[in-house]
Amino acid sequence: MTILRRTVRATAMTGALLAALAATPATAADFGFPVLVPVTGFLSLEGTSQRNGAVLALRKAPAGIGVRSTVIDTGTSPETAVTALDRAAGGGDPVLAVAASMLGTQMLAMLPLAKEYGVPLVTVSGTASITEQGNPWVFRFFPGDAVTKAAHARYVVEELGKRRPAVIHQTTAYGQSGQAHLKAEFERLGVRPVFEEGVDASAKDLLPVITKALAAEPDVLVLHLHSAPTALFIRQAAAHGVTLPVVAGSAMHQPSTAALLDPAELKGVCAETAASPVSGGSPAVEAFTAEYRAAFGTEPDAFALGQYDGMRMVLDAVAGGARTPDAVRAALSAGRHEGLAMTYRSDGKGNMAHSAVIVCYDGRSRVPAIAKRYDDVTGVLK
Amino acid sequence: MRRGLGGGLPWAGLLYAAGAAALCLYALFGATPYGLRVLTVAGVYALAAIGFQIVFGLAGALSLAQGAFFGLGAYASGILSSQFGWDFAATLPAALAVPLLVALVVGLPVLRLESHYFALATLGIAQILLLAAVNLPALTGGANGLAGVPGVVLFGRTVPRGLPLAALVWGIVAVGGLLAWRLSVGRWGRALTLVRDDPMVAATLGLDVGRLRLGAFALSALFGGAAGALAVHTQRVVSPEVLEFPVMVTILTVAVVGGRGRVAGAVLGAVLLLHLPEWLRGLERGYLLVYGAALLLTIVLAPHGLTGLVERLLPARARPLPAPRPLPEPAAPHTEPLRVEGLRKAFGGVWAVDGVSLAVPRGAILGLIGPNGSGKTTLINLVSGLERADAGRVLVAGRYATALRADARARLGVARSFQAGALPAAATVLEAVAAARLERSRGVAEAEGQGMAVLHRLGIADHAATLCGGLPAGLRRRVELARALARQPAVLLLDEPAAGLTDAEKRELAAHLRALAGEGLGILLVEHDMGFLLPLATRVVVLDQGRTLYDGPPQGVRQDRRVVAAYLGEGGGA
Repeated sequence: MTILRRTVRATAMTGALLAALAATPATAADFGFPVLVPVTGFLSLEGTSQRNGAVLALRKAPAGIGVRSTVIDTGTSPETAVTALDRAAGGGDPVLAVAASMLGTQMLAMLPLAKEYGVPLVTVSGTASITEQGNPWVFRFFPGDAVTKAAHARYVVEELGKRRPAVIHQTTAYGQSGQAHLKAEFERLGVRPVFEEGVDASAKDLLPVITKALAAEPDVLVLHLHSAPTALFIRQAAAHGVTLPVVAGSAMHQPSTAALLDPAELKGVCAETAASPVSGGSPAVEAFTAEYRAAFGTEPDAFALGQYDGMRMVLDAVAGGARTPDAVRAALSAGRHEGLAMTYRSDGKGNMAHSAVIVCYDGRSRVPAIAKRYDDVTGVLK
Repeated sequence: MRRGLGGGLPWAGLLYAAGAAALCLYALFGATPYGLRVLTVAGVYALAAIGFQIVFGLAGALSLAQGAFFGLGAYASGILSSQFGWDFAATLPAALAVPLLVALVVGLPVLRLESHYFALATLGIAQILLLAAVNLPALTGGANGLAGVPGVVLFGRTVPRGLPLAALVWGIVAVGGLLAWRLSVGRWGRALTLVRDDPMVAATLGLDVGRLRLGAFALSALFGGAAGALAVHTQRVVSPEVLEFPVMVTILTVAVVGGRGRVAGAVLGAVLLLHLPEWLRGLERGYLLVYGAALLLTIVLAPHGLTGLVERLLPARARPLPAPRPLPEPAAPHTEPLRVEGLRKAFGGVWAVDGVSLAVPRGAILGLIGPNGSGKTTLINLVSGLERADAGRVLVAGRYATALRADARARLGVARSFQAGALPAAATVLEAVAAARLERSRGVAEAEGQGMAVLHRLGIADHAATLCGGLPAGLRRRVELARALARQPAVLLLDEPAAGLTDAEKRELAAHLRALAGEGLGILLVEHDMGFLLPLATRVVVLDQGRTLYDGPPQGVRQDRRVVAAYLGEGGGA
């Protein structure tokens, strides 16, 4: 199936789902849950996963609750994101929570406005600083870098026994944040990377950085790149006979990233992530994956599952009697949610996810297996 | 040379005023908070695009640094307000000063570049600033940027978002727009359009092209910085996205769709282009397709932008022509308006002009002839300053001019015409001639009045309102002569002024030239038509392969065997 057909199908399915949601007969309790995510621009793949996860969750409204939801593309600029939030929350209709962009700079821009409107933002953004602004209206259902990079570094050092990592990261906010946490975690583990370099997200040839990294004689390649650069790095490394193990960032676990590579090129490649729904693990996750495939014609990833879990927790709060944004905020702040990916609970700052997994590819399939699970990395869950 | 907004456009002006009133009513009574935000952002981009219209629309320089100036203003105001708690009354001047400083520093070298290299260089500025923003996290917050930027805090009081913020932004747009409009229709704006249409001609009319371009570049930076400062307090975060290329693309699209060079175009384009994606946002990915198609359709249907379309549908009422104003009394003619000594110029290994010396005394008509490629036009270019000589000296009215630029030589008293017509097609005859007075007059009205006086003298005042693009050859030559004469030069360099003229037109031109020489003007006349030139010239210089072949009275030309062999042929010339 071509990308165009997939896109058309996914758009049609989303439209149908939203039409169904919009067609829900108006009831006394009819609430808005707008989905403000980037479905165009460099984060469109991840943003589409986020959208799909939110839309799938919102199909299952609690009995007696009418769900109104519109997907608004936030593109990649903070300005578009705040405009989208104004559009969704400033119209006078009651909005209980917003599925908000995974792009960190957009979240940082939306936070003050969310506070003014008093509406919870439910996101899967990994940018550390969004929960460090002292803003009580943000809830992150994806492990932040403090969790994932701890798992990332620990797997490299404790499981693979490597002591000379070469770290290649992106120069974006995502890349800088991840690199800082990786550096701190390696330092805590007593390991000093032999090579560190940032690469531009638009770089079309990563062979120079691969060559420079190999010249530093590392024993493992540690990546923290976006989806397309991750695939490019692994393909170019495989083409040049690099046999060092690669432990990549969460972009690698996405089925859309693996689809860019031959299974053989993936041999020896592992990645950190919050979850890997295509890897299975439980009947509930497998049911989610099947439902997602049927609805959108693509494979779900951790972003889709995280956003799904986040919106399910919101809807559970509504089912539990929360009828105002503040009540939803209170429920998210104090509650505990057994999601499909993990158990969620706020650390007091809005960080809901505290687990990460390492998945690895066997070189024969594009579906990875879970190699290691790290639970409660930040010590929040009791 | 297109006029600025409102130049004799009552219906279009009324339409724009009605649009502005409708926008005000919508903001006051119909807009939701979301609607007001989109309107506010449209105002921010209108301000940035107004600045871009000055450098791109008026001065014709495709600066891709406007997005960078926008970003610099955003970072300056964002950092000072979020990190140091400065009031907007203090951050705004800083947001103007930082881009202005960068524009002045980088403008000097990059404005010398040809158009496409200039565009690339300005794009490079933006890329460097973007890299700096990403890689200086201690100052800029790195790729994440800086959160916690307050709204607009003016003299200690926060301007609430919604209507007050929209009113503030559009108030600044109104002030900026009015300022830009006044500049665009004034002497400075006219000079810029002349620089845009033909910088070489502008220089020969005494205009300092470099200074004009630098001024436009700096002014565009001020507008960009102000827009960036407003943007950062509207979105409450400053991050590298404000320095990225999409900001520049938006500004460029706003200017092109709205109408190049027009303040109204910037406003109209910004309002439309910032609202259009919002109207289509519900289409998710599909909106890009519809948005792109709508833009394409607009550009196809309105190639001069929406304001161009409005002016086509509501054509301008003819402006009343100004009354002629006398030109100031010229200085007493120098006894020798032009002297050239040992002038040399090589292109590659070929000497185009090789040791030529000549003099044009007061009231003389010096004929300069020779076969094609003999160096006649190169000599005129060397004298007028459009080419730099490799050796030799040029003296204008007794003053050394060899090291001077073309505009400085024009101010010394050199005026010229061009072999290929060099009148701006979109300008009227009066505007083209009045352009020659811009450097010397106190305003456009005075320049046009003086231009009318010159047109009357040459008997072409009836054509003052005609567009130059549609002039027949004979009239074009006379308009070019009028423009050169409007400079009140000491020496007039005419490059084949009789080409394409009828015999009657040639006789009329010859009469004009004799009269001018009679007033003491020195004339250097390049011409192939010997029947026209020889009776007119007081002396003739013949060039061949860059060297002087003959220098003497006109009567001797046909008798000189070398001239006959090299140029006239046995038939004796035309």
